[in-house]
Amino acid sequence: MQYSQKVLDHFMKPHNIGKLENPDATATEGSPACGDQVSIYLSVNPETQVIEDIKFQSYGCASNIATASIITDMAKGKTLEQAKKIGWKEAAEALDGLPPIKMHCSVLAVDTLRKAITDYEIKHNLAEEAVFSKDSIVEELKKVIYPQVGEDIITLKMVKYAGFENGVAIIDLDIPKFDKYRDNVAEEIREHLEKFKEIKEVKITM
Amino acid sequence: MKKIYFDNCLTSKPAPEVIDAMMPYLKEKFYFPQNFTKNGTEIDNDIQSFKKVVADSIGAKSSEIHFTTGGTSANNIAIKGYLSQNAGKGTHIICSVIDYPDILTNAAFFEKSGFDVTYLSADNDGQINLDELKNAIRPDTILFMTTLANHVVGAIQPIKEIRKILDSADHKIVLFADACEAYARIPIDVNELGIDLMSISAHKIHGPKGIGALYQRAGIQLAQVKHGIQRIDNLETGGISIAAIAGFAKAVELAFGKFEENTVKIRNLSNYLLNKIEKEIPHTLLNGLRGEKRAPHNMNISFDFIEGEAIMMMMDFHGVSISTGSACASQGLKPNYVLMALGRTHEQSHSSMKFTFSRYNTFEEIDYTVAKLAEVVNELRRRSPLYNEEK
Repeated sequence: MQYSQKVLDHFMKPHNIGKLENPDATATEGSPACGDQVSIYLSVNPETQVIEDIKFQSYGCASNIATASIITDMAKGKTLEQAKKIGWKEAAEALDGLPPIKMHCSVLAVDTLRKAITDYEIKHNLAEEAVFSKDSIVEELKKVIYPQVGEDIITLKMVKYAGFENGVAIIDLDIPKFDKYRDNVAEEIREHLEKFKEIKEVKITM
Repeated sequence: MKKIYFDNCLTSKPAPEVIDAMMPYLKEKFYFPQNFTKNGTEIDNDIQSFKKVVADSIGAKSSEIHFTTGGTSANNIAIKGYLSQNAGKGTHIICSVIDYPDILTNAAFFEKSGFDVTYLSADNDGQINLDELKNAIRPDTILFMTTLANHVVGAIQPIKEIRKILDSADHKIVLFADACEAYARIPIDVNELGIDLMSISAHKIHGPKGIGALYQRAGIQLAQVKHGIQRIDNLETGGISIAAIAGFAKAVELAFGKFEENTVKIRNLSNYLLNKIEKEIPHTLLNGLRGEKRAPHNMNISFDFIEGEAIMMMMDFHGVSISTGSACASQGLKPNYVLMALGRTHEQSHSSMKFTFSRYNTFEEIDYTVAKLAEVVNELRRRSPLYNEEK
């Protein structure tokens, strides 16, 4: 398993690293406990809604830094609507690919960018805070990557059931007992779902 | 570019003398041992002399040494062989949560087939809890397993005390030690320490890969784990590379010929690195003990606010090989289980870097490494939101 030259280039000399002094919007996603966290800072032209400047900071591995770097390159100069559409596969392709086990880094970078855009939209009354529903859980599970193949667990049909009742998110997974990523997938699901204030407990059966 | 290798506990470079010692067995002396023939007898005599070299290094008899195809093979032959042979006497085994994966995966395997396993905890420095050991012993306990020098933090387990505790039971409890990390780094006399079964590995002491040894105390019965034709050893059946055995014996001679000198130098290198890092890089944390209870070759240090795979990759660019306990660099994306068991946080485990030294390393290499490490840590902290929050 190895990184592409482009990943290494962005890791060694990341673009747009740092913080904006007075950002129009920010977002921080991931957690140090899981080994990766990204913060993104946006400066947006209020008339054209073009991202005029963007910076990031990262606590994480080489691919975490590289994906955040490429995503800020891709978003710079785009309107918020255009930037929202950048997908994690697109970002990985722009780096000439990522090892499957590192695909979650791309998901985290894209997610952080989208959260920063949402932050801008809410602050400027362009959007309302999303209403939590069962669908929010499924949407969130699409960000959980199965490291063996580098695809999300919804696409891979690894989620047999996802429900929400009285503050408890109930997830039933189809994952073999001796799969080496079993604990990791469960951990990732918890990390993603526990940030919803509506979810008091995450119950995972496998 | 400089090439500096501080990952000798993963594997080490074969010594030039080791390669030389192997060559005759790769070229003209390619025979297997065999009775009565000239060629076969000569090889047999050679193997006996190699066996004596290994036996002498741990105070054992040649007849108690088996050559195996590596440390993991020795571990499997010992653990599976002993438990299969002696299940009639009891089905309880004891090890600790910080043991080497070979021990833990074997323990899990026997747990599934009906054995009871007690996993002892360890203190924050990696010493296993002896009070728990005293309480864990039962009439049906037949085996205690330990990693003599811990593979992550270098903690040396107090084998003499452990032996005493095991001997306080009314029946014999066999002591198995995985000594792959400890061997040739700390003095080991199997009789003085009361070890019954012990594994060692050649490639961690500048020997070749694919060869190790199992010490089996006379009288300890092992069931056959690997069935098949007996070429060189009765437990490690089939062919074993005799060139590798020759290289292994040479590596042992080199390591033990200047044992004191080598181990003192290695400990000085480790301490020099630690002192230099603590002086020159802020916000660091030593994992494991200081001083004599730590294997001399091992240093494990966490660097706050940043992640280990990124440190490893950047140091790799500077030509320095070190390893990390970060989840991002592991196969199962999990933080290092030993550091977690020692009470370290996820962050401290993700940011841990392991340096393992050998007699071939130099103080100049450490000067270069710490200078580059200071740059790398600074650069990664500059990028880290955690460091900026802290400031």
